[in-house]
Amino acid sequence: MKLNILINIILVFIFLAPAEGQNLGSITGDESDLYAQTKQVNQFFRRFNNEEDRKGNRYYPGDSLYRDNAFRKVYLKMLFDKESSFIQNSQKEEFIADVSNTDNPVFLDFHGNDWFAELATTFKYYRKKENLILFLQLEQERLGYKWVITNVYFDQFLKNFNKGDKDEINKKFLHPMSHELDFMNIHKVFDNPRYAEYYASKTYNPDYRTLLFYEVKMGNMTFEDIGPLKFHFFQVDGWYFEVNYINRPGGNSGWLITKLYKISDKEKEALIKFYLPE
Amino acid sequence: MKAKTFIIITLLFVSFGFESMAQDHISPARKQAIDSLALEKVRDLSKYITLIGDKETEFSEAQRVIDRAVELFMEGSEVGVSSLFREGINYYEVREYFERLMRLNYSKVDIEWYKIEYVSDLERQPDGTYVGVITIFQKFSGYDQEGGLVYEDVTKKDITVYVKRKETQIAGKLIGFWDVLLGDIRVKETSKE
Repeated sequence: MKLNILINIILVFIFLAPAEGQNLGSITGDESDLYAQTKQVNQFFRRFNNEEDRKGNRYYPGDSLYRDNAFRKVYLKMLFDKESSFIQNSQKEEFIADVSNTDNPVFLDFHGNDWFAELATTFKYYRKKENLILFLQLEQERLGYKWVITNVYFDQFLKNFNKGDKDEINKKFLHPMSHELDFMNIHKVFDNPRYAEYYASKTYNPDYRTLLFYEVKMGNMTFEDIGPLKFHFFQVDGWYFEVNYINRPGGNSGWLITKLYKISDKEKEALIKFYLPE
Repeated sequence: MKAKTFIIITLLFVSFGFESMAQDHISPARKQAIDSLALEKVRDLSKYITLIGDKETEFSEAQRVIDRAVELFMEGSEVGVSSLFREGINYYEVREYFERLMRLNYSKVDIEWYKIEYVSDLERQPDGTYVGVITIFQKFSGYDQEGGLVYEDVTKKDITVYVKRKETQIAGKLIGFWDVLLGDIRVKETSKE
């Protein structure tokens, strides 16, 4: 036990001691905070998996410390936002023990599915500034990969397709003999636009991306700016975590885990459906 | 002359063993050689930025340096700048960014660079070009006529790096090499407190 503590202290010291970088410029002084900061999402992946040294030099398969579990545990601790109120210490410890389990370690895979980007954006919609959220995922194409939009969240779109009153839903249908009357009753679908989609098949789901692209094409919506970016990870079975960019002085900064929850397979499926609708 | 030297260095460092290399995979050794080239370009960019911002650099010289700096970039590259106290991002074409830097209204400007450089993995995009990001940190200080510090910030610069396979003919022989060009830059002010 004591030996473990000693090893951890040594590892923490090794990680946090100022590293000698390559010579770019003239500033002298302690840069250890910058080294400790998780500067890129790419570095988040590498640290999570212990695939780089403290200077940021990559380890490759075959290197002695590649995915080394002892170093990894130190990195994993560093990857949590220490000021987040959404992370319980006990859960954090459980998560770290889970992913760094010697018999069945879990590593993040940049090209793997089950991680999504969430980008806040602003658009002008009928000349009014509106906030939209775009969800993106990496997709393989030809020789490489690209980020693609998987879903859009915009409350104006959402409220127009919010199925509300059950009684109303139950009354909105075209009776099964409508065809005999040449569907002369079809006008009912369009009489009240508020309920139009109630007449669609039960598999119908509004595609908010199509709405966005349509409005942009029609000139009703124009892109303005980007806002904060965050990432949602579902690559560790039984867990969900969120990664945000924390801009603050000190080593506990950069891309860090700001939320951590235990989730069931069913919850995972439901959450993923939100980012990646069928 | 500089371009020629660059091609020679590129060929020396990167083309060796090129033919035997699998096209869809960059070995660790090759990645390190490409990283060195990319870092060289980023260091050139850092030197150019320091010169462009320096009030003692003559106008004609600064223009010449801006031309050199622009040559480091892929056409159409942009610089997206955000600050802690303003919402949104200001976008500039790279030349415009350098020209604004040259025209900044301070009597003296100090641009210094932290030693740290973080180099990402190289990822392949659909057309086969490799893309990576190099992160560097810059300290900017602007002074008034009396020598008083009137503005200071530390910015994180995430610089896109494109790595493309190209071929050139030398003495009738087709030689492959990796060409490195810079792309969009994201400039973020870092928090002081």
